[in-house]
Order: sequence, then C-alpha cells, then structure tokens
Amino acid sequence: MAAPVVDSGRSLTMARAGREAVIAAMRANPDIFVIGEDLGGVFGTTVGMADEFGSQRIVDTPISETGFIGIATGAAMAGMHPIIEIAFVDFIGVCYNQIVNFAAKTHYMSGGQFKVPMTMMIGYGGGYCDAAQHSQTLIATLAHMPGIKVITPADAYDAKGLMASCLADDNLCVWMVHKAIWGLGWLGLPIKTALATVPEEDYKVPFGKARIWREGKDVTLVGYGITVHHSLAAADKLAAEGISAEVLDLRTIVPMDRDAVFKSVSKTGHLVVADEDYMNCGVTAEVLASIAERDPRVLQAPAVRVANPDVPIPFSRPMENFALPDADKIVAAAKKTLGKA
Amino acid sequence: MKPTAKQRIWMYERMLTSRKLDEAVFEAYWEGKKPIFHMGKGPLPGEMHQSFGQEPAAVGVCVHLGADDAVGGNHRPHHTAIARGVNLKRMAAELFGKKTGLSGGRGGHMHLYDKNVSFFCSGIIAEGMGPGAGFALAKRMRKQPGIAVSFNGDGAVNQGAFHEVMNMVGLWKLPFIAVIEDNAYAVSCRPSESTAVRAWKRAEAYACGGEYVAGNDPDLIFEAAGRAVEHARSGKGGYILEIQTERLHGHFIGDSAGYRPKEEVAAQKDPIPLYRQRLLDEKVLPAAELDALEARVKQEVDAAMKFGRDSDYPAPQEALEKVFA
Amino acid sequence: MTDVVVPQDLWDTEDEGVLLTWVYSDGAVVQQGKLIAEIMVEKAQLELEAPASGRLRILVQPDAVIKKGQVLAKIESA
Repeated sequence: MAAPVVDSGRSLTMARAGREAVIAAMRANPDIFVIGEDLGGVFGTTVGMADEFGSQRIVDTPISETGFIGIATGAAMAGMHPIIEIAFVDFIGVCYNQIVNFAAKTHYMSGGQFKVPMTMMIGYGGGYCDAAQHSQTLIATLAHMPGIKVITPADAYDAKGLMASCLADDNLCVWMVHKAIWGLGWLGLPIKTALATVPEEDYKVPFGKARIWREGKDVTLVGYGITVHHSLAAADKLAAEGISAEVLDLRTIVPMDRDAVFKSVSKTGHLVVADEDYMNCGVTAEVLASIAERDPRVLQAPAVRVANPDVPIPFSRPMENFALPDADKIVAAAKKTLGKA
Repeated sequence: MKPTAKQRIWMYERMLTSRKLDEAVFEAYWEGKKPIFHMGKGPLPGEMHQSFGQEPAAVGVCVHLGADDAVGGNHRPHHTAIARGVNLKRMAAELFGKKTGLSGGRGGHMHLYDKNVSFFCSGIIAEGMGPGAGFALAKRMRKQPGIAVSFNGDGAVNQGAFHEVMNMVGLWKLPFIAVIEDNAYAVSCRPSESTAVRAWKRAEAYACGGEYVAGNDPDLIFEAAGRAVEHARSGKGGYILEIQTERLHGHFIGDSAGYRPKEEVAAQKDPIPLYRQRLLDEKVLPAAELDALEARVKQEVDAAMKFGRDSDYPAPQEALEKVFA
Repeated sequence: MTDVVVPQDLWDTEDEGVLLTWVYSDGAVVQQGKLIAEIMVEKAQLELEAPASGRLRILVQPDAVIKKGQVLAKIESA
C-alpha cells in the first residue's frame, strides 16, 4: 500500500481556477459584475453563477459588442468593475474602437479623473480547424495599444492568481487564455501541463514577473500561453539529445518582464521565442528588441522566432499545423540557433 | 411643465456663457493660423467644433439634471459642458493645452472630462452612447438615484453603436436619454440624404419613449426634456429626445460651409438675442439686470481665458504619466 | 468504503462521457460534497462530487471513456 498522502492539493483546469478567482472577488466586492454573450454557455466560466449572484450581476447581452463594451466602460467609469467575456479574440474587430479608444484611453484623456477598472476574459488560439476568423491570437494587436494590460496565464495556478490581480487592478486588464489549455469541454482534454495544483485560499500573481518553468544552460525558450507547453515538450526532446533548454513563461505581455528575459539569455547566450500570433511586428519581435536594445552581445548566435508565418490561419489540418508553432518547430529553432541544425 | 423664472434666467446665463466663451475661443483660434491656415499652430490648436446656435439644446436638458446624474458630450462639447457646470477656468486651460486644464492638457477640446459633475466626452461619433448607458446601468445596479444623458448629433444615429446601445437601453429599461441635436448637417450631409427613419421615430423599435421638439427654443426644449427626464427617472426606461437646433457656423473652424445654400444660412436665427428679448418682454428680468448679468458673464469668461493663456504648459515628459491608474 | 459512481442523472442522454481530470490525487483526503472530478459529455463539462469523506482510491484514470453507473473510485472512510 502506498504511503498515505494527506490532502495533496487540488489539480484544476485553468477554466475552473479562473472561475474561482472571479467568484471569490464577486463575493467580496458587490461592484464586480460579469457582462457578455452566452454567459451560461460557451466556455463554462460563468455556468451556474447566476444562481448565486443573480441575473443582475451576471448580465447576458444581445450580440452587441460595441454596445455592451461601451456600457461596461461607463459602468467602470462610474466606479464598478465589470468583467467582460468575449469568447473569441477575433471578435474584437467589431468593438475595437470601444476597447482601444475608450476603455484604454479614458484614464489618460481625463488626466486621471476617471479610472476604468475593467477586466476582459478572452479566449484565443487555433489548432482545431476553426479557420482564419476564429483561431487568431491578436495579442500583439492589443499589447500594442497604450492603456491595456495584457495577461496571459499558462496554467491553472497562474490563471487564478492573475485573474485575482486583474480584479484588483483599476485599469483595463485583458486576461487571455489559449483555448487548448483552458480546459473547455469542446477541445477534448486539456494539455496536462496546464493543469496545476491550486490553493483553495485567495492569492495573487503579480503582473510583470516572468516564470522559469524549467532551468537550463544552453538555450532560452521564451513563450507564453500555449507556447510554454510546446516549449516544455521541446525541452524534453532536446534533453534527450543532450541539449539543456530553459523554459521562460512571460506570463504577462504588458507589462513585460524584460529583465528576466535578458538575465536568462545572458546565461544561455541563445534565444528562441515562440508565439502563435502573426510573426510580423509581433510579441516575438518585441522580445528580440528587448535584447538588442539592452545588449545584443549577450547573444552568441542570431535568435530564432517561431510564429505564424503571416498567413490567415488555414482550415485544412495539414496547412493549419504547418502555420502554427509546435514542439518540433521549437526543437528545430533551438538546434538552428545552436548551430546543430 | 413650464420653466420658472429662476430656471429661465439660469438657461439664459448658461447659453450666454457658452456663447461668450466660443466667441473668445474663435478669436484666439486664428492667432498663429494666418496667413497660412495650419490647424496645429497657435495657442488654441487642433480641430475646434463650436456651439454657436446650439446652446438651447444643452441648457434646456441640463436644467433638469442634478448631482446624481451623468452627462456625456460629443466632439462639439462646449455648450454641453458649460450647461453641465464644468469648471470654466479649467475647461479653458484644457483648450489651451495647459497643465491646469481639466485633464492636464491630455484631452483637449474634444475630450473634456469633469468628474465633479460626472461629465465626459466622446470624440468619436456615437461611441459615447455606450459609456453613457453604462453610467445608467451602474446606478441601477447600485440602486442609486440618477439618470444618464448622452448628447449626439443627427449624424450619429446611423452608427452601429447607437442602435446597439438603444436596444439594450430598451431591453433593460435603463434610465438613459439619447439627446439628438438636429442641426441639419452632419458635416456636409443632411439627414434627408443619410437617414431612412429619423431617430425619434424609431423609439418604439427600441421600447423607449421619444419625441421631436422644433424651434430651437429653450422654453420648448425645457418642456420636452422635462418629459424625457421624468420618463427616465420614473423607471419607465429610455428616451430619444431629438431637438431641432441651428449650427450657425461651419462644422469646425475653417469649414466655410460652402455646401449650404446661401438663402438657408441667411434665414438662420440666433436663439440667444431672441431669448433675451423674450425675458424682457415677459418681464422676467429688467434690462438693467440683464446688462449686469451679461457683464458678469463676460468677466467670468475673460477670467477663464486669461487663466488658460497664463497657465503653464505641462512638462513634455508628463506625456508619459497617467496611462494607468 | 464508498463507491464513487457516475450518477445516472448526471446527464440526459445515453452517450458515453470522458473522465477529464481528477481534482485530487490517489490517496488524498477528500470531503463529502466537494468537487473531486470533472467529466466531459459532448461539449458540456460536468462536476462529480465526493459522496463521502475519506481517502480517495482512484480506479479509473483520466482520458478514459466512462458510462453512467460506472465506479470510478472508492473512498475509504476515516
């Protein structure tokens, strides 16, 4: 008989962990409410919450993103803290103005008079044949605009802690989770490394602090969200070939922990950055810029980026798999920068 | 419900303050922009959408509002801001881009905000509707009194945001009034060329109240707005109040409005001298007191403009501040 | 010893489900009424609560296809 394990801690999906943070915050603060479409439904993050909080605080809306994001912005300016659920980041196209010109800029344009405490909960990512308008990442598009904090947890522990931090922040925070690691019903089983032990009590994970998932000395693999998991799988494969890879999870894109990236690359001298977003003018470029601007001499070889090669995401599986990053592409990139291709 | 004498005097005083400020701004605007017109030059740079002729729409509505309420203006906000009671000195300083401005110079003419009177602006047509309705939702959720009013032009009613927000206002019976200032022109486009069905006529489609008030007359606007405000305050929900008004100048300073027929422009009536005459005729205020009121207004406006001119600019690196709370 | 059974009324159809994840590890102490596993049926995610308090003994691993009425684990009472 195995040694008894006393209360080993709960292993949760990111969806459930994020939900715990939302519920705890809503119980503590009556000014927090959820607004969005299909709140009972698509991602299950708010399933059953109307039973506890009432339809007053779980506000189901018509298909009117510009309308209800504007409404949420006004409620935030009035001192409440709305949580807006958007199922697919691709939909920000229909409400982009409200996000980037209103919610993001009102604090600044009002000289600090009106805070806009607002959290958006958004799903992103492809790899399941949902094609170009339902599979995007678009994190660079949001990170590019001043006034938006972009939060990208990669596992359940960070999901809960980062959501708690979003709900305590007086600004527009966009908490974004790749659909394949969220732990939703309709994408099969979640990637195992996205599950994590999650404390029952409340806790926060700070913004702007990267996380080293795996230490290594030969090459730094930088990722966020799903590419952390691809990088972990890549690190295993590289280890089998005697290459020691360090896996660094950015955790938040705005603010970005450039110091941690620089420190890791200073140690390994080699850099691979992986991102499911489009490559051009993207987060991968921003990470490279961080090194180049600070001291490019820490790099012993050119860095390599792994990202969508600037194509609309194809529907057909072989083409989609070609366009999106995966562990093998990160392995190839690591070998390339190490001159072992 | 007709306005009391006190309310009528308040409306006149606010209209005059807005007009005097706009006149001073108009004069100052041209400094540095002659002989070559460059929008970015001079002490009052940028676009400038003035409110000449539209003052009645703002005062007739805002006279009914109090500290519990919220008001959203648009890209032509001066009369609305002044009717709402925005700090005049800090408003002028904001137009000059000074450190002492409402937003420390970060917003400017189209982005006037004064938290003390729950006033904000939208520089993008119709996009302030959502935030306005959001204030109304917050009041409902916190069980607080108060309504929200959003000022828009006739050109705003075809924007998606207008429709989306009015649908939710009707669905949830939010205490929200969409004021449409029909000044007959969306820049150069007339409603007959752009709008299949006028906004106030769509009220039933949004389960809201609605009406059109013609004449650009503060007293008539007072009455119609009274109905709209009562509708919203009583819990009946939203209202679309379309107000006929007059844009006496071009869309912005520099727009010669050549697209308007000359006879039409010549036939326009300035509402402020007309209202002054009515106050005299109906013995609301004797001429001497009207003169004294006007002198006070001019003094206040002059002081505000001086404050704006004399104040310092923000330090350049202050541009980096206040992105986040 | 209490069986942890997939309840007959957990979902409406006769479809099979999939055991998505155990919230606690084998040997962990669990409390009656608390969430101990997630089950997926088509697109829906369903919750399985502990029928008793005690030590969890897992019999069926995640990713397994499961049926209503199936015993997934046992709970040893304290």
